[in-house]
Amino acid sequence: MRKILLILMIIAAPAAAQRRLPVIIPLGKAQPAQQPVLTGIDALRADFAAQSGGTTVYFGSDSSQLGAPARTVLQAQAMWLRRHPEIVVRIEGHGDTTDTRDHALAVGARRAEEVRDYLVLMGLPAAQLSAMSWGKERPGAGRAVTILVR
Amino acid sequence: MKRLFVTLMLLGLSVAAHAQQPGTPAATVIAIPPMTSPDTGTRGNEMLGIGWQATQMIAADLRQTSEMMPLPPNQKDYYSYPEVTAPTFSKWRSAGAKALVTGFVQSRSDGRVNFGCYVYDVEKGRELGRKGFVVSSGEWRRAAHKCSGVAYEAITGAPGMFDTRIAYVAESGGAGDARVKRLAVMDSDGFNHRYLTAGETMVLTPRLSPNGSQIAYVAYPDGVPQVRLLDIGSGAQRPVAPSDVISFAPRFSPDGRRILFTMMNGTNADIYITGRDGGVLQRLTTSPGIDTDASFSPDGSKIVFESDRGGSQQLYVMNSDGSNQRRMSFGGGWYASPEWSPDGKWIAFTRRGADGRRIGIIGSDGSGEKYLTNGPTDEGPSWAVSSREIIFQRSDAMGRSGLYRVSFDGSAPRQMSIPQGGSDPDWSGLLD
Repeated sequence: MRKILLILMIIAAPAAAQRRLPVIIPLGKAQPAQQPVLTGIDALRADFAAQSGGTTVYFGSDSSQLGAPARTVLQAQAMWLRRHPEIVVRIEGHGDTTDTRDHALAVGARRAEEVRDYLVLMGLPAAQLSAMSWGKERPGAGRAVTILVR
Repeated sequence: MKRLFVTLMLLGLSVAAHAQQPGTPAATVIAIPPMTSPDTGTRGNEMLGIGWQATQMIAADLRQTSEMMPLPPNQKDYYSYPEVTAPTFSKWRSAGAKALVTGFVQSRSDGRVNFGCYVYDVEKGRELGRKGFVVSSGEWRRAAHKCSGVAYEAITGAPGMFDTRIAYVAESGGAGDARVKRLAVMDSDGFNHRYLTAGETMVLTPRLSPNGSQIAYVAYPDGVPQVRLLDIGSGAQRPVAPSDVISFAPRFSPDGRRILFTMMNGTNADIYITGRDGGVLQRLTTSPGIDTDASFSPDGSKIVFESDRGGSQQLYVMNSDGSNQRRMSFGGGWYASPEWSPDGKWIAFTRRGADGRRIGIIGSDGSGEKYLTNGPTDEGPSWAVSSREIIFQRSDAMGRSGLYRVSFDGSAPRQMSIPQGGSDPDWSGLLD
């Protein structure tokens, strides 16, 4: 039985490399759960996301107005960032995929700037926050993402 | 059901009423016999060889326009050198041709080559135009493109777009975040295709200088989208807009010496202009909201742009110093990415609505709005120098985007052949 499994694995290996077959884990032999140990910026990012209720806020189509759910997330983000004044963040704005290229860039930039303005309003120094826009280059809903840089 | 059938019949009738005589091509039938040469011996053979290749290329050029229907060049139709300027019209008349292109290729003592091109109206038996070019023998492709231009201009009255370049963003590596975008440039017939950036940073919206030697574009060198300038010959690049501010949507002035672009000012997107080689930065719009995608009129006196100052995005026109800003489109939906035609008569745009994105044109006086494509994923129109054709971007259901050309004659858009996916096309003016 063991030998068969081994042969199967050998046969499966090159195929998996090409076609990404689902990984078969033998039953009855629980894999030790991989507990990732986050350090440095990764640990801070995970903590930031957990404590703020998310790194991302969403907008209506063509809109850069912050709704109540967005404000709640940003208030929590601001609270966390006030405790970490050494952290610099980049706010990445995204436009809508149905938009035209340059208008999407402008809408994304506006969303990032609105988030930045709101965080400044919440008492964060402007130098801690930068804004940029991906326009419609990253598929997904209209949004702005706060990313810890360092 | 019966009513539907009647409606269909009516539709069919109205289509038939608009159609021409059956069997009569809408395009101008044009005969292009092989170019001849006054040279003899091995030089003569060499020149005839270049002439035959040039002839086939002129036919391919004119066929691309969909406004002309070249008869396939036939090596049986060789004519003598004197016949270049004294063609046998009756022969081409009976072949159904309305126009005739003849020419010769002649070697020069300095090693270069003379190209002579002649265009005739076959029915009237008279010359419509002629032009001569001197090129190095390796540059016969450009000479042939110029001959195609002579024929196109003699027949349509508009400059031919054959000796021009197209810049665009080559897309590879799948969809979404994995997509790699590189600047690419090619001759308008797809030859001389080359990549100008390696894909290490996202690039968007290349815009060729009027003579096709430089490209203004958007890249993310420091993580922020910024307008940059690339010299195609030397490969040198440098920023155009102030650093660490978001800037995009560049476009050259008709003389190539200034660059329009959009820059964020807090939550406000406004249009600015600066010298291509540096100089004063001048702000042209100040309205709260998004003003972007500015494009000069060919005489440099006016600028068309899009603005959402009135609610939804619409097209606006202003003087080149920013004065006298006024709205020029009033339709439903959102109007975007305007570009002024080289002859000054039209403005091409993308309209976003419930039916998706379509390419349309509107007279520069605001009249005669009409649509050239049905969408639903079209955007970014750029004019051919003829002002009779537009290149634009269209995506398929899988999100792969390609480049398409559409003419004013109402024919369907045709996809251009490029190595991979493509977006943000831009068509240059004549190269010299």
